[in-house]
Parts: sequence; structure tokens; C-alpha cells
Amino acid sequence: MQRLLTAVATLAATTAAAQDAPITVAMHYTEEQAAPLLACFDAYEEANPGTTIEYQQLSYRDYLQTVLTSRIAGQAPDIYNVYSIWAAQMVDNDVLAPVPDDLGSFVTDTYAGGTVGAATIDGTLWGVPTEVSTYMLVSNMALLREAGIEEPPTTWDELRAAAEAVTTRNDQGRIKTAGFAFAESSSGAGVTHPFYTLMFSKGQDVYAEDYATANLGSEAAVEAASQLAGLVQDGLTDRTVDAYDDFPAGGVGMMIMANWYESAIRDGLGDGFEDVVVSQIPTGEDWRTMQYAFFMGVDSGSDRQEAAWDVVRFVNSTDSAAADGGPSCVGQMMADLGALTANADDNAALEEPDAFTKPFQDALAERAISQPNVLQASEIEGLIGQTLDTVIAGEAEPGPAMEDLNTRVEDILFEFY
Amino acid sequence: MRAVLKYAALGLVAALMLLPFADMFVGALRGPRDVFANPPNYFPVEPQWSVYARVFDELPMGRWLFNSVVVTLTITVLQVATSTLAGFALAKYDFGGRDAIFRLVIGAQMFPFFLFIIPIFFLLRYVPLAGGNGLTELGGSGLLGTYAALVLPFIVTWYGVFLMRQFFVTIPDDLLEAARLDGASEFRIFRSIALPQIAPAVWTLALFAFVYHWNEFIWTMTVTRSAPELQTLPVGIFLLEDQFNTLDQKSLQQAALAVSVAPVIFLFIVLQKRFHAATETG
Amino acid sequence: MRKVATAPGADAASGAVPGVATGAVPRVARPGAMDDRAPGAPRLAPWLFLAPLLVFAAVFLVLPLGFSIYLTFTRWNPLGSPSWVGLKQYEYLLTRDPVFWDTLGHTFIVAGGLVLFGVPLSLALAAVFSRAKGRRVWRAIFYLPQVTNIVAIAYIWQFLLDDRYGLVNRGLGLLGYAGPDWLTDGTWAMVSVIVVMVWYELGKNMLVFSAAIDGIDPQVIEAATLDGASGPRVFASITVPLIRPAVVFVTVTSFITGMGWFALILAMTNGGPRGATDVTALYMYRMAFEDLRMGRASAAAMILFAIIAVIAVLQFRLLRERAA
Repeated sequence: MQRLLTAVATLAATTAAAQDAPITVAMHYTEEQAAPLLACFDAYEEANPGTTIEYQQLSYRDYLQTVLTSRIAGQAPDIYNVYSIWAAQMVDNDVLAPVPDDLGSFVTDTYAGGTVGAATIDGTLWGVPTEVSTYMLVSNMALLREAGIEEPPTTWDELRAAAEAVTTRNDQGRIKTAGFAFAESSSGAGVTHPFYTLMFSKGQDVYAEDYATANLGSEAAVEAASQLAGLVQDGLTDRTVDAYDDFPAGGVGMMIMANWYESAIRDGLGDGFEDVVVSQIPTGEDWRTMQYAFFMGVDSGSDRQEAAWDVVRFVNSTDSAAADGGPSCVGQMMADLGALTANADDNAALEEPDAFTKPFQDALAERAISQPNVLQASEIEGLIGQTLDTVIAGEAEPGPAMEDLNTRVEDILFEFY
Repeated sequence: MRAVLKYAALGLVAALMLLPFADMFVGALRGPRDVFANPPNYFPVEPQWSVYARVFDELPMGRWLFNSVVVTLTITVLQVATSTLAGFALAKYDFGGRDAIFRLVIGAQMFPFFLFIIPIFFLLRYVPLAGGNGLTELGGSGLLGTYAALVLPFIVTWYGVFLMRQFFVTIPDDLLEAARLDGASEFRIFRSIALPQIAPAVWTLALFAFVYHWNEFIWTMTVTRSAPELQTLPVGIFLLEDQFNTLDQKSLQQAALAVSVAPVIFLFIVLQKRFHAATETG
Repeated sequence: MRKVATAPGADAASGAVPGVATGAVPRVARPGAMDDRAPGAPRLAPWLFLAPLLVFAAVFLVLPLGFSIYLTFTRWNPLGSPSWVGLKQYEYLLTRDPVFWDTLGHTFIVAGGLVLFGVPLSLALAAVFSRAKGRRVWRAIFYLPQVTNIVAIAYIWQFLLDDRYGLVNRGLGLLGYAGPDWLTDGTWAMVSVIVVMVWYELGKNMLVFSAAIDGIDPQVIEAATLDGASGPRVFASITVPLIRPAVVFVTVTSFITGMGWFALILAMTNGGPRGATDVTALYMYRMAFEDLRMGRASAAAMILFAIIAVIAVLQFRLLRERAA
């Protein structure tokens, strides 16, 4: 009996202690990548005795699922770093708290408009934008030059010609060096994002303005899908090649990739990184690209929302700069990662980016269109990815497949718009 | 000729069993020079033994190991206790309802585990007075996020109860009766007379419980997804996938897997005889 | 020491039914068939000994099953409260959800593959093994996958089956074959899943068979051999019928394992590529913890359980009758 009482007392004590529990920040970056941010948390703890901040690394693949599971388990973190297409589902499930007004005006004053849009759903702002990425053509010029091609392609025909020249096969007919490669990702982003760049370049939006209908069955969409599928069907690449793995290993000529992958390419290619050139999406003069964004938001069920928002504000504003006139912690972290930021103060404080990142940054300002942020975007992107996969694998004709996809997507939209 | 064929067949199957493990050990030793070559090397030009130090350096390996050991041992001890106690009661006492309980033990084994994931998850979450829950205010996390969530659903193994009963039945009643006449308590009879008689079977149960729960994956992943401090080796390796994204990190992943596999294989080899007894005629 | 068929606790993993009597399990003494009650045996003791089990049965068996059945009649996103929808979830899954039927088809392919290839292979291996020397070493090697965690198994095979640089396709390449796209082609991915499952279960099933074979009276085999029957013939026409209970046991447990076990698939292919290896149990898990549709997921689990139960009983009857 006494033991039981002790147990109950211990339980009660644990419950009381929950008040002083740390503010948890859940992000997908490794602790190594997040180092500037972690240093910033230490500084914040020092300046605010009594507050502790805990960093929790969640895998990118499982982020949304983990957040939702934590939420239904009643043990959600306080601060999230949300990929914009997850946001709709989180908002729909009341996971996120809206940004407080004063912080809201900081965001609209300091961040580029397109990126603020990525953190806005139905007119409400849900967080402070952090990582921004755009897509560009990344070429391993060493391989291209070897194949007699001196400049990265600027049109799709040139890309195909270059890819054909670069591709080599071993005795069994398996690709040894691929002219082009898609990235293999569980979310399907490795094909959907290049697909968007092609579609945007053709001047076609993914959805109608009111989000009630989709344009995935349009001529432009079918054409874009056919272009991607053509690369596989004509043997310029195949799905056993993975841009993430094989480009850094020197086995891929070109890929349409986001800027954040720079450090992995650098690590893999070593001195060969000098031959890597970033250039426009190869769709002629009217090329466009896609940008996507993450933002830091706060859990609506957190019992310390105010404190959590203060942490978010601190790490994203120049208040947290390591040195006077320096960038914010998040800004510094993005720069180290090779990612971009839409924070004007940070961009002013950061040094001019390297030759790899510069074209991405320019594209962000001049050519990028935000990844559309509809409700259920995550589910829809999954559908788009699966359809493109099927088309690319040659299991379905682009026309009917995209038509069918459009119907399914519009069914989902119909629930919400 | 027939003998040659026989051993060739066994050898072939043995090779198929071992090769995947060998592949993992070779893979763990590859360095950047191997993986970033085109095509990549299969055998590392310069085996990177330091990878095993990196595993403990760069991953919360100590935490995972600790959790695996604590959770697995707790479950094993509890399963042995509940199985032997219940098995003894079912084998050596006659009381109304015994047959019904025995049928329950047999019947309960028919339910596949996937049926329980959702309901037990929420039952644990809604335990009153735990993890921020009040008596009726159930907005907290209950027992989720505690070791209890990893242990409680496994403290009874129906098959273990069944098994222990089958062994207790073989003990002669006279032995117990004699002790009873000497005035021994029922628990003492169980503990000092009956239990030692079936010690090998109990060890078998313990070993299988240990191996099974060391390797348990789905449940532990489900309840520790948001509680990294409670993750066990397999779950941690699975959920920390981003750590292994780039090619040069794959060897780290393989080394981590090797570390997760090693303790059970070690146990398996050291206690071969008991496994032997468990899986075959003894 | 007596023979024990399978690992306790395996029931939780695989949904297997290890308790059913087989040639390899100690003979089931019928509970009512003996009277071992001592005159002075106290009445309270057995209940105390059974208390943990009874509490567990109430809290972790009856309560969850009841809750689960209730949930199948609801729509429940656990961030809100459940709402009663009657049979709608069953109706949706069975009549309007094409994915459910696809996953069910895949589930049968996996279970069928495991039975069709796994059972004969382990039986053949047992035949060779039971007359070999050095059984301890062979046994240890064949049992190795069983003591390995499933995440390791899944990743090990991902590396082995890598389309371009995995050991398997490198080996085939040396022989001059390009090798299939084991994990990126839908059909081959299903083959890979079944191969790995058969590989994983081979040692365990082989041991059940070999224990049963050891239980056969050697004189029976001798007599047949003296009559001039060849080894394989003796095995097929004498040994196998004699160990029929073990065959029934392994067939039924393999089938149930294949139907309900999704840990390997989750870690190895996560149902991909393009849903080609998506099985119902995995689909159920995703419905619950990705889409937060607890009601529908519970209904899916219940339908799958019903199918497994019906087929397991049928298999039992069928294989038993053939034996009789």
C-alpha cells in the first residue's frame, strides 16, 4: 500500500514538474546542421534564466506523421519547422497557432512577399519563414566537356542532346554514367518539383486562382510529363539512378536540383566541385522555376505559446546575431547549409553567396513561383508524384494519366474550395 | 555422392543466410573514396574501422542501447513471472473457472497484434492521473512517453502461459503434496519446488522473450516517435533516417545496424545450448 | 527437455497461432481430464497467481478489442471526438476505396508466396538437415535471421538488392546479366519482399519440421527403405504424411504471418514503388497514424482479421481432413 502511495505521489510530482519542462523545438536538421541555432538557444537560455530549450531532430521523411502522432499522443513539441505543403494539414487539424500581431508585422516588413505567402493559409499567417529553396539546372561540366559539350544547355532539346552524349552503359546495358538524373525521395518531390519548373516555364499555373480547379490535365502539364518521361524512355536516364547519391559520386551529368544540396555535392566531388555549374532551367528564354519554403510555427496546444513565440522571434531576428551587424542565427544557419533566406536583414548582413548559390538567389528574386499552398497539398503532391512516376516508368500514357490525376485532385479540392 | 549433394545443399543455404550479414559488415567499412567513385567500389580500398567509434560519437547509441536493455530485460522478467505463476495455477490447482481461463489463454493467441495498435495507443494515452491527465481531464499524454508504454502491453505472453502450463503439468503431484504437508506456503511450493523442476523451459521462455523484444519494432516506434529519449536501437536507427541520407553516411548506417544486431547474435552464440534445447529435442 | 515449436512472443509479431498443437509441441493435456487437486489445496492461491493475467486480459485484451470494435462504427480524428457513422467505414472500404482492394490483393500475394515457397523450401531443408552431421552449427546459421531485428533485415536487403551496385546485381553482372530492378520495379519489388520473408522464416520453419521428423519412429523409415524406395520417395510418401500436423501448423502460421505482418514491408519498401507492395495492414497503419482516420483504420483491421480468421479455420479443416 505504501509503495502504491509513493507511486501516486511520484506521478503527481511529475505532473507538476511539467510546468518547468523545456520548450521543445522540432526540426528535421541534424544537430550538426543546426549548430548555429543551438548556440543561439544557449544564448537565449542565458538571457532568460528559468527557460530551457530542447532540440529534437525528426526525420524529414516522417516529419508530418511524427507531428500528428505526437499531437494525438498529447506530447507535441512547442515549436515546429514546417514545410509549407504540410502546413495546410496542420492548420486543418488545429495544430498551429496563428502568429501574434507584432511578430506578424515583423514578418511582413522583413521577408519577401512570395515567401510570406508560403506561410499564409486562407489569409492567416502561421509562422516565420526560415529555409527557402529554388530549383536550377546543376551540371557536372567535367562530364559534359568530356562528351564535347562546353556550355550547360538552355533548352530542352539541348538538354536531351547533352544527356545523350554523356550517358554511358556497362556491358550488361546498365547505366554507368547518366546524362540526367531524378532524385529519389519518399515524398515524390524528386519528380514533382522538376515537373513544376517545366509547367511554370510554359506559363501554366497548377491551380486556378480560386483553387477550385486544377490544370494538371492541361496541354502544358501533359507536355511537361512527357518531357520528363522521354528522358527515361529514350535511355538518357532511368530510375535506378538517383541524383542524390550518384551526382555527388560523379556519375550524373545534370539534374534539376535545389540549392540546399550543395554541401553534399561538395563533399562527394571534392576538387571536382569546381566543375559544377548552376544554370537556368533549360526551357528557353521564358524559363521559370519553383520555390518552396519552411517556416517556424508554434503549437496551438502549447502551454507556453508566448514564450515559444519569443524564442521564434529571437532566433529569426538580428537580435540573435553572433556579432554586431551579423545575420540572425537562422540566417547564419541557412547560409552554412547553402540554403536561402527571404529575410532582408539577413541578406543584407550575409556576405555575397558563392558561385553555386548566387544563381539560385537571383532566380528567387526574378524567376521563382511559389509552390502552391492549397489545403491537402501534401496528399495532392503525393498523388502527382505517383502519377508522374507511373508515366515516367512507361506504365501509363501521359495524356490519360494526367487527365485522370486532374480529376482526382479536383475531387480533393472540391472538399475544401 | 548423395552425401556430397546433401552438404552442398546445406552449405548453399548457409551461404545465403550469412552473405547478407557479410555484405553489411563490408559496407560498414567503406569510406568516401569508395562510395564516391563511379562505379563505387565494393570492397573498401582502405577499411574505415573508425566507423564503429563514429557510431557512438555521432548517434545517440548509448541512449538507444540503454533503452533496449532496460525495456527488454523488464519485459523478459515480467513475462517469465506472469507466465510461470499463471501456468502453475492452471496446471496444479483445480478450481471453478480454470477451464474457461485456459480456453482464454488459447483463444487470446488468435488475435493478431495489428488489431491492438490503435486501441492500446489510446488506452495508454487516456490513463487518468498520469502524464498531465487529471481524473477526468484527459488532455495530457497519459502513459505515452514513459517506459510503461513500452512495457505494459507485453507483460503477459499468452503463448508463454500456455507453454509453462504444459511443463508444470508434467510435475508429479506427490512432490507438491509432500511440501504442503510440511507446511510450506503455496508460493514457496511454486518457487522452491515446482519452478526448479522446469528451469530449462523457463530459460527457454526468457531467451525467446529477450530476443523477440530486443527486436520489437512497430509498437515501440509508434509510441516513441515523439519521445526520442525512449527509442530503442532498431527504432532509433529507423527514425533517424536523415542522418544517413548521403552516400558517405550509408556506412555509418550499416555500422549502426551491425551494432544493433551484435548483442543478440552474441547472446545467441553464447547460449547456443539453450537455444538448441529450445528449438529441438533435448 | 521437451520440444518446443516456436518462440513465445512470436504471436505478437506475426499474428501467428503458435499455441495450436502440432507434432512438435508437448502433448496437450486436457484441462478437465485429470484430478490433481490436493485435498488441502487452498482456494485463494491459484487466483492470486492468476491475478496479473486476469488484469492483463481485462485491460490489454478485452478492453482494446471492445474499443476497437466501437471505433469501427465511428469517424474519429483523435484531435477531436469520435462521431458515430454506423457501417459507413466498412461500406467505404469495401465498395468505394480501390486502394483497399489493391492492398488486399497484395496481402494475399505476400501470404500466398510465403506459403507456396516458404513451406516446401523449409520442408526440403529439414529433410536434408535431419540426416546431417554438425547440426548445431547448421542450426545456428539457419536461425540467424530470426534473432536479427527487422530494421536491420530490411536495410541489409535494401543494400543487397540495390539496382546498380547491390551485391546481387553485381554478382549477376559478373555472370553477364543486367539483373532485374529489384526495388524500383513494382513486380520485382513484390518478388523481393517475398524472397526476404521466405529467407527470414526459413530457419524457424525448418526447425519445426526437423523436430517433427525426429519424432518419427526410425523403424518405419527403415522398413520403407528396405522395400527399395528411394530417399526422396520415402520422404514424400512416408515422412511428410507422418508429420502432417507440423505441416498444417507451419502452413497456417506462415499464412497468418504473411497476412498480418507489415513491419518488414514498412521498413523495406514502405509499400512502394508506386504502391506495388502496399499491404492491408500497412495501409491500416498509415490510415491511422498519417491520415488520423482511426475509425476507418479500425474497420480495415477488423476486416483483415475476419479474413484471416476464416481462412485459418478453413485451412485447418482442409489440411486436417486430408490427413484423416
